[in-house]
Amino acid sequence: MNDKSAPLVKMTLSAVAAAAFIIFLFLIPEIVKLVVIAALLSYILDPLANLLESRGMGRTKATVTIFSGIVMLLVIFYLVLLPPLFEQIKSLQSGLNPEQTGVMISRLENVLVENLSFIGIKDLDLAGRLQGSMAHAGEWMLSHVLDAASLITSMILIPFIVFFLMKDGREFKRAFIGIVPNRYFEFTLYLLYKLNAQVGNFLRGQFIDAAIVGLLAVLALWLIGIKYFFLIGLFTGIANLIPYFGPIAGAALAIIVSVLQTGGFEMALYVILAFTVIKLLDDAVVQPVVVAKSVDMNPLTVLLVILAGGKLFGVLGMLLSVPIAGFIKVVVRESIINYRKYRAI
Amino acid sequence: MSKIWENIFKLRRKQTDEIDDILVKIPIFQDLNSRELSIIKRILHKREYKAKEHIFNEGDVGLGMYIIVRGCVRIVCDQENQILAELCEGDFFGELSLLDEAPRSATAVAKTPCVLLCFFKPELLDLLERNPKLGSRVLFKLAWTIGERLKSTNEQLRALSGPDRQNESKS
Repeated sequence: MNDKSAPLVKMTLSAVAAAAFIIFLFLIPEIVKLVVIAALLSYILDPLANLLESRGMGRTKATVTIFSGIVMLLVIFYLVLLPPLFEQIKSLQSGLNPEQTGVMISRLENVLVENLSFIGIKDLDLAGRLQGSMAHAGEWMLSHVLDAASLITSMILIPFIVFFLMKDGREFKRAFIGIVPNRYFEFTLYLLYKLNAQVGNFLRGQFIDAAIVGLLAVLALWLIGIKYFFLIGLFTGIANLIPYFGPIAGAALAIIVSVLQTGGFEMALYVILAFTVIKLLDDAVVQPVVVAKSVDMNPLTVLLVILAGGKLFGVLGMLLSVPIAGFIKVVVRESIINYRKYRAI
Repeated sequence: MSKIWENIFKLRRKQTDEIDDILVKIPIFQDLNSRELSIIKRILHKREYKAKEHIFNEGDVGLGMYIIVRGCVRIVCDQENQILAELCEGDFFGELSLLDEAPRSATAVAKTPCVLLCFFKPELLDLLERNPKLGSRVLFKLAWTIGERLKSTNEQLRALSGPDRQNESKS
């Protein structure tokens, strides 16, 4: 092999290896999903481990301490919060018995037809539509949620991966850097540094923000007197991880429950008011303090990216679409800036 | 069999000793004890370069400093194709990039096959977060080193401009 063809052969081999690796990842989507969730969790918990390390703890001890704390929180959750949660799920199940649901839906349908007939709402057939969607939901639950084997595997594997990623994350990163050729070594480190500064802060900030919004929603819905306030608040918090769509989804669920509960719109107005106040608080106080540096994308891009993520990978895709788009944006922007700046194209 | 293991361990010990010997000579790590040095060693990247291989190019994004464990490195100014310095075992270069993300002001090329240790800004920031005491000591020594280099540059400048000034005042 002569000197001129050597780089071309190397590049071709690298491209083939990269393509083979990507195909391999597509063949094992479930494992990739588990690793992505675990990596995300370990990334969010990493600053906590660093804080404990700065207090003189070793990395392993810090990781074990955090895991013990999480186990304690789960025990508290199990003892204190799970009974009301189960109660709410049970009452939701009993609340959805055919007779009661039928009465509630016909009440809601009457209210809608009475108040919104001027925009052409006459025959909604809510009961039929709800039945159809419930059947779909049943199928979905059977195929996804009730897949106990995969649920148990995830519950064991995710903490296991999180533990090792937290404990040995730096060694994994060093091993990865170690295989990068000398030519791209410093630039790769620079990219990782920029990514950590921008996407990392965004991810951690969003997580804390979601927890605060979830708590505020639980409190507000409890004060208003909505049934299933804990479930809806929990859903609102998790949904808040998805920009734009999340807050609307949480509010919509609370409004539907309030209308079904009372058969009128009075309580729904309080819900709208509460969610507006929460959104304002979130935008004016929580986000500026917690989400220090966002990925800086315009709203239209964010919306399109979320839709694409949802279409390709479902809810997880919606949750991860913004940080992944931020990741791609940083990589492309930094590569172009550096190439232009330093190679004068 | 045991001889093989003995040899492997001997080789490892030899490499570790070599790195320790180099590190204690670097002003930034000079006052650290063995435990602290082992923490530093864990965050350094070890790279091997062939002769004539570019370590970085003038204008590249700079993220940190390089310490020469083995071999020699040439610092070259691209525009004038002039050799600015030739550095060997125990020398270090690029330390200003630990504080500043400015592009590299010169090109570094391996003159002979080299083994380098790289200390980069993300690792320094991480060290400051996880071990503030050690991190701030390293940072203080880094500031001191850069100060010393600035003083030496000032002296060189004074020495260079001295005769010119004298000539100017005479004329």
